[in-house]
Amino acid sequence: MENKLKKYEKIEFLGEGQFATVYKARDVDTDNIVAVKKIKLGSRQEAQDGINRTALREIKLLQELHHDNIIGLLDVFGHMSNVSLVFDFMDTDLEVIIKDNSIILTTANIKSYILQTLQGLEYLHLNWVLHRDLKPNNLLVNSNGVLKVGDFGLAKLYGSPNRVNTHQVVTRWYRAPELLYGAKQYSTCIDMWAVGCILAELLLRLPIFPGESDLDQLTKIFGVFGNPTEETWPGLKSLSDYIEFKPFTPIPLKNIFTAAGDDLLDLIEALLVMNPIKRKNCTACLQMPFFSNKPAPTVGDKLPLPHSLRTMRDLDKPSLKRKLLDTAEGGTLSKRLFF
Amino acid sequence: MKDVIDVMELQREKTRKNVSLDYKSLDFNNGFTPARFIFECGIKLNGQPLTLATAAVIMHRFFREVDPSNYDSFLIAASSLYLAGKVKDDNLKIRDIINVAHNTLHRGSSPLEIGDEYWNMRDAIVQAELLIMRILKFEVGTVHPHKFLLHYLRSMEGWLGKAQWESIPVARASAAFLQDFHHDPSILDYNPRHIAIACISLALQCYGVQLPLIEDTDDEAWYNVFVKDLPKEKHWEIMEKIMEVYNKEVE
Repeated sequence: MENKLKKYEKIEFLGEGQFATVYKARDVDTDNIVAVKKIKLGSRQEAQDGINRTALREIKLLQELHHDNIIGLLDVFGHMSNVSLVFDFMDTDLEVIIKDNSIILTTANIKSYILQTLQGLEYLHLNWVLHRDLKPNNLLVNSNGVLKVGDFGLAKLYGSPNRVNTHQVVTRWYRAPELLYGAKQYSTCIDMWAVGCILAELLLRLPIFPGESDLDQLTKIFGVFGNPTEETWPGLKSLSDYIEFKPFTPIPLKNIFTAAGDDLLDLIEALLVMNPIKRKNCTACLQMPFFSNKPAPTVGDKLPLPHSLRTMRDLDKPSLKRKLLDTAEGGTLSKRLFF
Repeated sequence: MKDVIDVMELQREKTRKNVSLDYKSLDFNNGFTPARFIFECGIKLNGQPLTLATAAVIMHRFFREVDPSNYDSFLIAASSLYLAGKVKDDNLKIRDIINVAHNTLHRGSSPLEIGDEYWNMRDAIVQAELLIMRILKFEVGTVHPHKFLLHYLRSMEGWLGKAQWESIPVARASAAFLQDFHHDPSILDYNPRHIAIACISLALQCYGVQLPLIEDTDDEAWYNVFVKDLPKEKHWEIMEKIMEVYNKEVE
C-alpha cells in the first residue's frame, strides 16, 4: 500500500469539493499522466457512513469495463482512511468545447464526437450498464481527440425485470420524457435520448431543451415535437406522473437545425423519439447512413481543442481538469438534479 | 472418493428445532459461524438473497487473506453485510445493521441507545469496511451461481414437463442448497456454473427424479447440455462439499 503513494507523483492540484480532491499526477513506473481522485472520508458525515456509494459504484462497474471510449479506472488504492481512484487523464470535455466560441464544429467534427460516444455507449449497453447521467460535461476529451464517457457515479446494471429504479436520474436538460413522467422501469432508451440532446447541442451550441423545472422541461420538448398521444406513445397515460399539456404545434427539425444535412437530421430524429420503444439503440444508430456518408469523421489529432488548452499547451502548461472538479464538488443526486 | 453420494443423509429429516444460537460461545468453524450470522442478520434485515450471498462471499474472501484469530468475526460479518448492501444497491441501513447484529449476539437485549457503545460499533463497522475493501484490493464484484441456476432451472421446467415439475420442489431445494453452500469458504473455489449444476444434481437425487429422454451414461452426464467443462469427479466433489456444510451445523 505504501508504495502506491509513491507510485503516483503529484504534479498539480486540480480541484477540491465536498467529497473528493483531484490531482494530476505522474505514474512513476510508466510515466503516464493520470488523474487521482481522492475520496474524502475525513469529514464527520462521511466517516459515519463509510465508503461513498458513488465511489463504490464507479469502482465496481469500471473495474469490469474496458473500452477505448470509456474512461479507464487504472487503479484503486487506500491510504490511512482514504480511498483514491486513478483515472486516465483527460484534458477537457464536450461542454468546454461547445462553449468555446473560437472553435468551429464542422459536420466531420460532430460526427467524430457522436461516433465515439455511441461506440462507448454501445459497449456499456451490451454489458447491461445504464449510464444515467450523460451530458456534454461527462463526455471527456483528451488532447489526442479521443472521447471517453466518464462519471459512473449514477450508473447501474439494468435488465432485472422486477427492479424498480428511481426516475430522479439524469441532469434535467438531458432527461428523457418517460423519466419526466415518472417511469420507474426504463432501459437504455434514457441514455439514447441524452445522446440526442447532446448531438443537438453540438449543432446549436446551446442546450436544446433548457427546462427550468421538470414541467417546463416537458413544455420545451413538446414545443418542438408536439404533444405525445396514446397513438404515438401507447401506455403514455398510465405513467405515474402523467399530466395533460396545452396543445403545441410541432416544429420541423429542418427549421431548427438549418445547417444540418438530411442524414444528420435522420439521426437526430431517430434519437429524439418521445416513445422510448421507438427510439433507436446504439447499434442501430451506428448503422445509419450519416456515419458512412461523407464527410468522414475527423481523425483524433485534427479535432479542435479549446482556446485555454491551446495556449496552455503552447506554454507547455497543463490545463485544469474541469470535469473531475465538478464531480468533486457535488456528486450527490440532489445537486445534479436541481442545479 | 465415494462412488455414490449418500443422499439418504440429506433425506433423513433432521430434527429442525428453531435453535437460537449463542454465537458468542461458538468458534470460527472455518467461516461457518460468521456466515450463519450473516444469513440470520441479513434475513432479519430483509436483505435480498443476492445481497446476503455477496456478504458471505466478501467475508470468506477476507478471511482467506488474514488470520481469523486476529479479527472479531462478527464485526467482519456485520461490515460485510453493510458493504454488500452498497455493492448490490440494496440499501441496508447502518443503524439497522447495528441493532440487528447487537440483538442477535445478545438475545433479548433492548435496542442500543445512541451513546458511546453505539458510536463505537458504528465506527468499528465503517473502519472494518475500509479494511475489507483494501484486503480485497477493492475488487468487490462477484459472479454469482444464482443467475446460472435460474437459467438451468427454467430450461429444466420444459424438459421435465409442467406437471412433474410442479409436483416436486427441485427449484426450491436447489436454491436452498446454493444458499447453504455460502456457509463454506469452498464456494470461492469453484466455477459458478458448476456450483449451480451441483445444486440441481443434489436436488434431483434427493427427490429421485429421473430426467426423461436421456440416458445417464459414463461419458454423457445430464448436465452436458448446460456445461461442457465439468468432469464427473469435480461434479461429485462439489456435491460432497455442499453436503459437508450440513455436518457443521450445531446440533
